[in-house]
Amino acid sequence: MSVYIDKAAQISIQQPLSNEWFTNPLSPAGRLCKFVRPDFKQYLSPAVSRRMGTALKCTLSSALACVPEEKRSLLDGILTGTGLGSIENTENFLLAMLEGEDGLSPSNFMQSTHNTLGSQVAIAFNCHGYNITYAHRGTSFDSALMNAVIKFRLNEFKSALVNGVDEMTEKYFQLFDQIGYWKDRDVTIEDVRKATSPGTFAGENSVSLLLTDQPSDQPLCELCDTQLLYRPSDQRLKACVEKMSLEHNVSRIDAVVIGNNGDKENDEEYRRLVQLLAPDATQIIYKHLFGESFTMSGIGVYVGATCLKEKSVPSHITIDNKALENPQTILVLNHFKQLDYSITLLKSC
Amino acid sequence: MDALVQELKEKVIQALNLEDMTPDDIDANAPLFGEGLGLDSIDALELIVLMERNYGIKLKNANEGKDIFKSIQVMADYISKNRTK
Repeated sequence: MSVYIDKAAQISIQQPLSNEWFTNPLSPAGRLCKFVRPDFKQYLSPAVSRRMGTALKCTLSSALACVPEEKRSLLDGILTGTGLGSIENTENFLLAMLEGEDGLSPSNFMQSTHNTLGSQVAIAFNCHGYNITYAHRGTSFDSALMNAVIKFRLNEFKSALVNGVDEMTEKYFQLFDQIGYWKDRDVTIEDVRKATSPGTFAGENSVSLLLTDQPSDQPLCELCDTQLLYRPSDQRLKACVEKMSLEHNVSRIDAVVIGNNGDKENDEEYRRLVQLLAPDATQIIYKHLFGESFTMSGIGVYVGATCLKEKSVPSHITIDNKALENPQTILVLNHFKQLDYSITLLKSC
Repeated sequence: MDALVQELKEKVIQALNLEDMTPDDIDANAPLFGEGLGLDSIDALELIVLMERNYGIKLKNANEGKDIFKSIQVMADYISKNRTK
């Protein structure tokens, strides 16, 4: 059973719903970078979207852009990973509660739960299939992706949509700031690349991947496998990659997508992982363009898949600024606080 | 009364997030539900909250809303007679 990433769409701090970042990326500015909003009216009528928070609008727009209309109701599953859910609505609701518990606005309450995102996509798609939301901090997207792959392996899925969504509010940003999660000054791309100090910068993302068991005319790539590992030993990490490679006839990893985000400790762990698992591979970075969030690893998979489809890795997303032509296999690595790890193997079609 | 109608239009636009509308776009005598603004049942809840928060009016019977929320003008009439703040 093969699984393909058939289509993908993203809304982030780069140009929305486009691959413009691949050739002409925007330079992030500041410590908290917000969504570059698309023209929502192209996807959502004002009557439908007027009660929606930003995360929900972005989720629906990326999902609608990703899945062709004729395939929407036929999806076997919609799986969503989100660390913070609809945090904007959650905060609005809680702030209103502080003012008094009488007369609370119903809209903020209705849309304050994490699973609002996936359920609203299902309603928009008229899709009655499997619908699940993972809210597992830094492995939320990875969990959703692994769930989807398991369902394909069990022959329960022929097509599914996997989303990775997170927005960042000022208040939540400040909370994270107090524990030193962000850098103490505005960052540049070079700051993130060098990673000589603690902290990173915040981004926002809504990435949607359409997975199928049959490739269409122009799939992005094959999704060979994905695994989640908790506190793995080096031996277990190596064994996992070797098993994936063996099962999918992969003899060489051409490139590895890593989540370097400018935080010294975080990036040192990726350096160690690359040395362990694919020392000769080209190292692809993406968080210097997209920022950090709980589900930014979804953008990592999207970046790797896009490189395979475009048959090139541009120099501005490699760690040594050297382009790579015609990659055939890409390993996507993610770790969250050196506790939870995910490994995803992608192969060109 | 005209001032209250204008204020009510502004509060309704804000509470219901009618992004593309201005007070001038709302006919004070047009139906709020169905035709006119085309509001729905969730909007009705938002209007109940709006009246309570801004004018201290607590609807004891939800069915009252059917009559009170006929139009902005009817709402303004009701508020002017029953407001506590």
